[in-house]
Amino acid sequence: MSRNYSWSQQWSAKALGIVLPLFLLVAACAGGSSTTSLGTGSFTIGTTGLFVTHFIAGRTGDSNLDYAIWTPLTVIEPATGKLVNAIAESFQSTDEKVWTIKLKHGWTFWNGETVTAQSFADSWNTTAYGPNGWFQGFSFNIFEGWTDLNPSSGTPKTKAMSGVKVVDQYTLQVTLTRAFSLLPYLLSGTIFAPLPKEALTDLDAFDKKPIGDGPYEVTGPPYSAGVTSISYKRYDNYAGTKGNAKSFTAKVFQDPTATYTALQGGQIDVALVEGSDVARAASAYPSRFKAVTSPAVVYLGFPLWDKRFNDPAVRQAFSMAIDRQAIVKAILQGYGVAATGFAPASITGGGGSDCTSCTFNPSQAKQLLQAAGGWHGSLSLWTYTDPTNDPVLQAISNQLRTNLGITDISLQSQPVGQIYTNLSGHKVDGPFLLYTGAAYPHVYAMADSLFSIGSFLNTTGYKSQDFGTALAKAASDNSSSAVVQDTHAAGKIALKDLPLAPIFYPQLGLVWSSHVGNVQGEYLGGAHIASITTS
Amino acid sequence: MGRYVARRLLQLIPVVLGTTFIIYVAVYALPGDPIQALAGPHQVVAPAVAHALRARYHLDQPLLVQYVYYLTGLLHADFGVDFNGTSVIQIIIASWPITVTLALTAWAFEIIFGLSLGTVAAIRRGELADHTVLAGTTLIMGIPYFVLAYVAQILIGVKLGWFPVSGIEDGWPKSYLLPGFILALISLPSIARLTRASVLENLRADYVDTAIAKGLSYRRVILKHVLRNSLIPVTSLLAIDLGYLLGGTVLIEGIFNLPGLGFQIFTGIQQHDGPVVVGVSTLLVLVFLFVNLVVDLGYGVLDPRIRHV
Repeated sequence: MSRNYSWSQQWSAKALGIVLPLFLLVAACAGGSSTTSLGTGSFTIGTTGLFVTHFIAGRTGDSNLDYAIWTPLTVIEPATGKLVNAIAESFQSTDEKVWTIKLKHGWTFWNGETVTAQSFADSWNTTAYGPNGWFQGFSFNIFEGWTDLNPSSGTPKTKAMSGVKVVDQYTLQVTLTRAFSLLPYLLSGTIFAPLPKEALTDLDAFDKKPIGDGPYEVTGPPYSAGVTSISYKRYDNYAGTKGNAKSFTAKVFQDPTATYTALQGGQIDVALVEGSDVARAASAYPSRFKAVTSPAVVYLGFPLWDKRFNDPAVRQAFSMAIDRQAIVKAILQGYGVAATGFAPASITGGGGSDCTSCTFNPSQAKQLLQAAGGWHGSLSLWTYTDPTNDPVLQAISNQLRTNLGITDISLQSQPVGQIYTNLSGHKVDGPFLLYTGAAYPHVYAMADSLFSIGSFLNTTGYKSQDFGTALAKAASDNSSSAVVQDTHAAGKIALKDLPLAPIFYPQLGLVWSSHVGNVQGEYLGGAHIASITTS
Repeated sequence: MGRYVARRLLQLIPVVLGTTFIIYVAVYALPGDPIQALAGPHQVVAPAVAHALRARYHLDQPLLVQYVYYLTGLLHADFGVDFNGTSVIQIIIASWPITVTLALTAWAFEIIFGLSLGTVAAIRRGELADHTVLAGTTLIMGIPYFVLAYVAQILIGVKLGWFPVSGIEDGWPKSYLLPGFILALISLPSIARLTRASVLENLRADYVDTAIAKGLSYRRVILKHVLRNSLIPVTSLLAIDLGYLLGGTVLIEGIFNLPGLGFQIFTGIQQHDGPVVVGVSTLLVLVFLFVNLVVDLGYGVLDPRIRHV
């Protein structure tokens, strides 16, 4: 049940050599249409502690609740999956490296302060400043001057990125370290939302009692020990599409399973469920359930530092010996999509079948392995402990045993922190099952984090100049269709070398009570809060 | 008596030092990187950010140095702050009432049902009531209690809707009855059985015959004489159990979404949050020891023959 988002916005070249993305103009109208009558009801949504421990977007776990309180320059429309302008009026660049961003007038924070170019500059410099220790700061690494704020040792000498300039009240100039045409997509993350002046005086206090610019205001106490719910009310002066419900409550649970039980018990109205609860919820609430594809891929990576995996034929043999459909059907109970490429169709430019070795072909797999000298000795398969990973890896090991005749297979399941440490230290001695999410909803983000040299999520140690050149070309393209095309061309190069074998695109389930309606998944998987209606 | 109490209190010092150290080492030795655990599984952590956070929480220092930092804080009554900047004392103060409420609710169930079932089974020895209690307690003992918790949650909470399935929004008693009862089921069988054995033994005692011969009603004999004497072993079991219950139960608090101490320990371990885990655990050890001390002193009240000199 994968959703196909149309991504075919064309960027049209304008006179004077300025490239003005057309969709940004179209989207300009999306902001002001808020005169329709608004709801007066309220609802309750379930979440887990990780997503509400912090309110400043640069520190949170990045979830749908962030979109309720923060609005960045651009947003992904939940209904269409398309990128539209929110606070941004236009993006202009001649070389995809130096960008001029014009802001709309009339956007305000909850306290009435106007959202200006300075609000963005303040926010970005604060988030990127290494000593603040905000996890999301890494997302700014493509900005000129990020390295000055994040030196490899010692404290930074400056507190501002040289690549962020406030031209006037409503104009920002951003300089990147390289051509990167996907900036509007990158900026749709809430970590790129603006911060009001008050935030800078005491960041920690602000983190507990934020003043955002999103459609809902936080009221009442922040999440802390002994607190199990957080209240929000609609921000009535919101310049974009206002929230439907007058207010809502986020109830905090220890894990998603507890969330689902609470929904069954009528204590919450909207829940995001995962694992085996997805199939359960789908059959229990057929009319109030929606499967949503995560912007992610679960793959079997190969340790390229291990000489047994030097030969691409061996890696292809492993990949072709895996019956992805069977795994999706039997273990994920149909809630997942067998991977044919490296990004799901639900993100811009995703889908396609770049991975020729992702087709199940046991006989060819066996031949390939034999031609490459066969398999000798034992094989370890690795993953991190997770209710889905463990049975999936078990199934993969059975398939490798049956289809490739590898008899001595052992499974290693580690805590998540441990496996990344072991991977970067090249201490993992066998294929590993991992999950990688897209940093922003574009196929390029996926290719970049999986295969680029220097990417933290390039866990296999894959180093390809050809891929790098091809992807750099995609980043400097000035039409959106060319970006997608060239990203796929680069992806094909990587998947021919096959440092990792994509297995499936995970799916989550949204389930809701009869009290609410119009529940739409946003690209992270959670419910898009502002569109939920109450009855 | 005073010397006895003082000696017991002095014993607490090495115990506290030992437990804090062991728990500290255990959290330190947890596999994986605390910074990565804090960030969540799918989050990239830039080296400069990791470096800043390590320095802030002294994670870049050797284990012993970290422990000394922690102890120095403790001596100044400073339990430290967690990775999100909240003081551990605040966390304890906020979570403690929830755990205490849950523990006392469960304890009340244990006392009411454990004692009455045990006594009834003893008086009706060999009859249907006795067999029913025996079979029932065996069944409960055989099923893991988290299974009971989930089943009760689905049956009573979701299907019947008698009680909220989770959370504390409805306050006491509504929110606590179901989890409290499930929690009570863990020790209820042992308490019922111990009561039964103890009552049976006392029913055979000479003083019962004497009391009946004196013309006291059977009811009065059971309640005033037999039960009081039978309570001595049961009390110690009940008291130790209270110590356990006050320790918070990670599973029950997790399943029923009660943000008590067990919940905090759970998230603390997940996030490798040393200060929270060590702070809360140390407090629990202290409570456990204190409850035990009170129990030992309580023996003297129930049984004048036992006196601590």
